Amino acid sequence: MSSISLKNVTKTFGAKTVLGNINVEVPAGEFLVLLGPSGCGKSTLLRMLAGLETVSDGEIHLGSRRVDTLPPSARDMAFVFQSYALYPHMTVRRNITFPLIMRKFRWWFHIPLLGHFAKRRIESSPEVRELVDRTAKILSLTEMMDRHPRTLSGGQRQRVALGRAMVRQPEVFLMDEPLSNLDAKLRSSMRAEIIKLHRDLGGTFVYVTHDQIEAMTMGTRIVLMHAGEAQQIGTPREIYTNPANTFVARFIGTPAMNLVHARLEGSQLGIGELKVPLPAHLGVRGADSGANVLVGVRPNALAIGADTTQPGIAGTVGLVEHVGAESIVTVRLDTARTAHDRDGGTADEIMVTEAGYSTLSAGSKVRISLDLDQAVLFAADSGKRISNDIPLPAGTAHPALQLQPQH
Amino acid sequence: MTANKQAASGGVGWAPYLFCAPVMLYLLVFQAYPLVQELYLSFTQTSLLSPGKHDWVGLRNYADLFGQAEFNQVLLVTAAYTVACVVFSIGIGLGTALLLNMPFRGRGIARSLITIPWAAPPVAVALIFIWMFNGQYGVLQHAFNFLGLSSGMEGWLDNPSRALPAVLLTTVWQIFPFTSVVILSALQGVSSDLREAAVIDGADRLSVFGAVVWPAIRPTVMLLTLFITIWSLRRFDLIWLMTQGGPIGSTNTLVIELYRRAFTYRELGEAAAVGMVGLSLALVITVVYFRLTVRAERAAGH
Amino acid sequence: MKKTTLDWRQALLMIVILGMLGITAFPIYWMLVTSTTSSADLFATPPHLLPGLAQWHVFRDVFGSTDVGTWLVNSAIVAVGTTVLSLALAVLPAYALSRFRFAGIAIVGLALFVTQMLPEAMLVVPLYAIFGQLSLLNTLTGLILVNTAFTVPVITWILKGAIDGVPMDIEEAASIDGCSRLGTVFIVVIPLIAPTLAATAVIAFFHGWNEYVFAQTLVSAPELHTASVGLAGFVGELSTPLHSVMAIGLMYTLPAVFFYLLVQRYVVAGMTAGSVKG
Repeated sequence: MSSISLKNVTKTFGAKTVLGNINVEVPAGEFLVLLGPSGCGKSTLLRMLAGLETVSDGEIHLGSRRVDTLPPSARDMAFVFQSYALYPHMTVRRNITFPLIMRKFRWWFHIPLLGHFAKRRIESSPEVRELVDRTAKILSLTEMMDRHPRTLSGGQRQRVALGRAMVRQPEVFLMDEPLSNLDAKLRSSMRAEIIKLHRDLGGTFVYVTHDQIEAMTMGTRIVLMHAGEAQQIGTPREIYTNPANTFVARFIGTPAMNLVHARLEGSQLGIGELKVPLPAHLGVRGADSGANVLVGVRPNALAIGADTTQPGIAGTVGLVEHVGAESIVTVRLDTARTAHDRDGGTADEIMVTEAGYSTLSAGSKVRISLDLDQAVLFAADSGKRISNDIPLPAGTAHPALQLQPQH
Repeated sequence: MTANKQAASGGVGWAPYLFCAPVMLYLLVFQAYPLVQELYLSFTQTSLLSPGKHDWVGLRNYADLFGQAEFNQVLLVTAAYTVACVVFSIGIGLGTALLLNMPFRGRGIARSLITIPWAAPPVAVALIFIWMFNGQYGVLQHAFNFLGLSSGMEGWLDNPSRALPAVLLTTVWQIFPFTSVVILSALQGVSSDLREAAVIDGADRLSVFGAVVWPAIRPTVMLLTLFITIWSLRRFDLIWLMTQGGPIGSTNTLVIELYRRAFTYRELGEAAAVGMVGLSLALVITVVYFRLTVRAERAAGH
Repeated sequence: MKKTTLDWRQALLMIVILGMLGITAFPIYWMLVTSTTSSADLFATPPHLLPGLAQWHVFRDVFGSTDVGTWLVNSAIVAVGTTVLSLALAVLPAYALSRFRFAGIAIVGLALFVTQMLPEAMLVVPLYAIFGQLSLLNTLTGLILVNTAFTVPVITWILKGAIDGVPMDIEEAASIDGCSRLGTVFIVVIPLIAPTLAATAVIAFFHGWNEYVFAQTLVSAPELHTASVGLAGFVGELSTPLHSVMAIGLMYTLPAVFFYLLVQRYVVAGMTAGSVKG
């Protein structure tokens, strides 16, 4: 079991910088998830860890060893591909045994007949067979050891790929979106299997995904990436409750956190035509009065009242979507504005979730009240968070973090 | 054949048959009918000078062929030529394809330029190689002299033991671009994930080739082997123009022998018999090839 | 440390590649050198390795001293005719083999495959007799007809592969819009396989251009000789200067090489898509 350390890791392709200054300390036994939209660089980072891509600048350490100059086979890391990458012409047994044979490879194995027999000898030696059989048993593959990958289902192939990684008993497991090619039902059962594997094997896992549910349920810590930079590194809970910037705020959580334009006015927040008192945890030191901010408030922290005489932000119901246990109401605001456009423009829509079956209908005039206990403040220009951390319940640990890089 | 305009019993209607009819008719007239004629001719004794007059002789032509020592030489030369063509063109093609698959500047241009020999007309190729092999003034002869490979004043094409290698060199020069381009496209289809998986598992370059690349390109190489074999059995222009089958029959393949018997010795019946032997060989090889590939695929888990 | 190892590997690769390209290009280059070297210098030792820049007039001279003009025109006629006829014949069966399931599909496929195995030299004798009866001897039309018979199988196969790659949806949309089957073939499918069509046109053209056996055997009138026959006539003949012969050879070769360079990507794609398993 080893810890991983990434120091100022950068990747450039010609003039284009794909990954900029990534710094992460991964303690041994961590299940680190690299999360982000397509093209954010998460797969590239994983491949650099494995040695499949070179490091343009920076260092990668595995335990006390520096590994970024070593070839993949010398790093003691196993890699599970999204496409499984099983050797199609070998049986399941041989697929799993292959890394063990390669470990014992000598130069003269290349000589046709001699090499063939030497490899078979290794394959049938008791320690190798025992290790392979044990791995197969853990992954419930014992019945299909003599079958070829093309006769297996997606889930079975995934387990063979895991077996091929596990049998090497590596320090680190690297997984590149291993569940993306499976259907939804299989995905959730495989998620549980991988979590169980992590618990049983105790290795350090680095897992790439674009699916936030996978990230939130599987990871002990998440690195949320965007455009080649780490936007935030933290536990799933930290990222959910204390997003470091507007990108993180909008990425995590479904429906996404609302970002409402507001003005800081002394001890009050001006949102549209409404003025609300500023909660203590949002007290901003040294901020100017009149500064433009974005208030991050989740859809379930808003309440809609049909009574237009009550205080609240004025708006008209645009769309009501009933999803069973709750309803998602999209409201068009009269004067207040939200920042839900990726390009930074302003919009007038806000999302509110109501428990149960909402009786609202499109066109109704409503008032929205806000519960600011869990709200977060962001600077309107840079998108970075400017409020203090929300106090978490007693007993929650704050692991030592290295926060995101400079711009 | 399906040349008739009968309505099909299925739901497809006449369309497929109508679509295929012109081609099938065409091939019937220009390929099938002459083939049948050849078969008939092989059982006759017919002279080129009076092609309409056929004397039926049954299997005599065939019996004569297999009794003649020269025919054994023809078979040997054909076998040697074919095997050497396959081995060298695919071997060099594979090597070239592997090289062209590596990253380097100007790779696109290199890949295009490599097809030049294949594009050149065989007659022109024969002509320039004849000149290059010329015993007194040919540039290759000068090179051979320099390297100590020469056979004296006569060129390779006039030397019974060097003529076949010379013709082979010319042939391989012409066809290795084809094999290399086909193998290259097969190489490009090899999944890079699979290569990387092997590298991570600790395989060195040669092991990656053996475990990942070769199994993936094997079907292509096998099919290429079949094509090159058939083409070698058919190849006429180059050999005829360079050596006419000589000297002393050292480059006399089945097809050349066929042509000589027809147009030099003027015995159309015997020529047809030679042709039938060649065709039978090609058919046997094709059938064997398909049997083998089906069996191999079944073994690999298809 | 790593950087330098990479460099000498790259250098070695470049050397080998350049060597390979040198070998492939050399004979063509030698044709150029030989055609532009004066007769006296051709027999000099050591041989001249560079084209003689003063000798370009040889390319003009051969038009006067030999019949190369006629030959090239004849070759072009045969090539164009072969192309047109082959494509016309191949399109519909290629479509049928790709789209239809019908009894007899195996026979058609087999027929196309077997005919690719037949040597031209074998069929030349009976074809000689047949053409005699049909009065097709000594005609370029005859050559076009016989060349087509040998290109149609390959071209059908390649076009079938290309049509396989056209999604059925587009044709179904067209037929809903009222297009007949034949209409969809020509209005919808053909435009979509245009690059492959161009490639097969090149294949057919150069089969006709390069062809030798039939041109030699079925046509004896000198004014109808194609360039392949004309050129072959110089083998062993001593009266025409070598540089003239090579000049003709070069003029005959360059169009083929040039066009193949343009379309080679599609040719390979076409051949590998159809006949090779991935």
